Amino acid sequence: MTALLEIRDLHASVGDQPILKGINLTLNAGEVHAIMGPNGSGKSTMSYVLAGRNGYEVTGGDVLINGKSILEMEPDERARAGMFLAFQYPVELPGVGGMSFLRAAVNARLIEAGEEEVDQLGFVKLVRAKAKALEIGDEMLKRAVNVGFSGGEKKRYEILQMALLEPQIAVLDETDSGLDVDALKIVSDGVNMLRSPDRTMLVITHYQRLLDHIVPDYVHILADGRIRKTGGKELAFEVEESGYAGITDAA
Amino acid sequence: MPASQMQLNREPDMSPDLSQIAVSGAVRNAALVQWQEQGWPGPRAESWRFTKLDALAAHSFQPANALASIPAGEGAEMAAAMDAHAIRLVNGVLDATSLDGLPSGVRVGNLLDDQSAQDALRALAPANHPVSNLSLAVMTAGLVFDVDGVIERPLMLVFEGDDDTLSAHPVMLFRLAPAAQMVMAEWYQSSVSLSAPLIGIDIGANGRFDFAKIQAESKTTSHIAATGVNIGEGATLAGFSLSVGGKLARLETHVKMAGENGHCQLSAIYLGRERQHHDVTTMLEHAVPNCTSDQIIRGVLDDRSRGVYQGKVRVAPDAQKTDGQQMSRALLLSRKAEADAKPELEIYADDVVCSHGATVGELDQTQLFYLTSRGIPEAKARAMLIEAFLVDTIETVENPGLANLLNKVAQTWMVQAGLSGGQEDFMDDEAGDE
Repeated sequence: MTALLEIRDLHASVGDQPILKGINLTLNAGEVHAIMGPNGSGKSTMSYVLAGRNGYEVTGGDVLINGKSILEMEPDERARAGMFLAFQYPVELPGVGGMSFLRAAVNARLIEAGEEEVDQLGFVKLVRAKAKALEIGDEMLKRAVNVGFSGGEKKRYEILQMALLEPQIAVLDETDSGLDVDALKIVSDGVNMLRSPDRTMLVITHYQRLLDHIVPDYVHILADGRIRKTGGKELAFEVEESGYAGITDAA
Repeated sequence: MPASQMQLNREPDMSPDLSQIAVSGAVRNAALVQWQEQGWPGPRAESWRFTKLDALAAHSFQPANALASIPAGEGAEMAAAMDAHAIRLVNGVLDATSLDGLPSGVRVGNLLDDQSAQDALRALAPANHPVSNLSLAVMTAGLVFDVDGVIERPLMLVFEGDDDTLSAHPVMLFRLAPAAQMVMAEWYQSSVSLSAPLIGIDIGANGRFDFAKIQAESKTTSHIAATGVNIGEGATLAGFSLSVGGKLARLETHVKMAGENGHCQLSAIYLGRERQHHDVTTMLEHAVPNCTSDQIIRGVLDDRSRGVYQGKVRVAPDAQKTDGQQMSRALLLSRKAEADAKPELEIYADDVVCSHGATVGELDQTQLFYLTSRGIPEAKARAMLIEAFLVDTIETVENPGLANLLNKVAQTWMVQAGLSGGQEDFMDDEAGDE
């Protein structure tokens, strides 16, 4: 079976600074992987490298979706190939209507798949249905993208996009940051609903608490640009108890 | 007398060289003398620092003097789309048949030999502007509109023309009686060498004048326009200019807040590509207390195009409680594009709220990444951000017909620039339909 996402000896730099120093990861369909690590370990860099952001230069290794390298692909091509990044800091787009944005994204995927674009009315219904579970109302949907949203609203809106785009590979970058307990629950429930045998998720987090809600199949500890340790969900509790220092030193 | 029978006399001895031209009437003669003395602004003229007219000054113009027969252009469709009465000018010369059937409440007269109207226009016209003199002197068409009551049907002045050996000098004066209201669009799409309209607008007390000007001239046309507005007590001007065409364009508008509690909304968008030069210059004078003015200017510049915004707000010593805002933002899509902004506040009163600002920037890479990371192709993502940059400006246009017109032209520019955007705010229409 081909892995949905395979990261092979990935090296990447920002400017002249090497950040990722040989990452190996294989994500199969149905699996949820967590990446934990201290600040500066390269977690966010990894998410941007996967999504193809400018300024994040791959200096070695490869990233494959369904066995095909994506390194030459632009961010929009990667997205249409099945990659989705839930941003740690979702970006405000003043003047860009929320529904236009969501529809442009969904239609881009449909056009790629050779399917018919979704009509306006049908789309409004679809969005409303998915938004309801995330406690996103019409008022929020009508606003410009992320403009005037609270921290929790922005994260819920990320998950809504994920629900609409139905990616094969979802990378969630610090989805818990800036969330209070209630918001964390809504977001986690939203993510859990999207767990599927056809999908894989990479949950990037600094803290173990998110993993109480989104329980991973595997936990990887990232430090200084490398995966230092891999284990089951219990590894997250180890981090909680002894901190990253103990684990990365031992590795 | 029915408008179509009005004799719009031409100058029989109008010669191609302006230095030898003779015009009738004391007012136009005075304008001509002043033009001949001053000519085009020289290299040291401060208000023309960013927009040089050397090429124009070296050119000899021949004002059009006969109505040419050419097929109707896009302007007719645009007028029809907003159910406007179109008044057609070809190469700056009036097609008098288009004056038939004007809405009642609009009375049109001939400005060519109406010296008192010419005097009124001269008082309104931007001072020291070359077109204020030149076009008044050699006008290729001259109309005065006296407006009374609320005119429901918009007027559209459709300026067409295909003769690049000619210059167009249409001159229009609008006089609104107290409480009169009208909506006017100016559509410029010609290929004359010089398009130099002079427009005067005098809004009576509690009146309202909504206008949208579309400058979509040919790539070889220089469009140098002068507009002067007087806003009476409690009156409103809601004006918008969209400059997309031409080789060199200068849209200069002078507004005087002449009566208390007046309001002036004066916005503009310029969209440049290739080597186009767009200049939006405004001079807003708050002469009396308790008036508000708001100017929103947006520019998008691609290739080697250049955009200029000069906005001066002058608040007279006793114009207390003035609220004067102006904000200009330019977006550069190319490294070789250039934007210049010169906002100026000249305040002689002490109890006022005035602000101005100007920014020049590029598309935000983080925003672009966010959009593309959702699978939206980059060209579309760029278009969405450019539209977003412009949308709040067009949203200041309250008249739906004018707003549609502006949207259409801006959209066409986007498509021609390879930026098919297509924001649809259908939620506004359909969110409440359950």
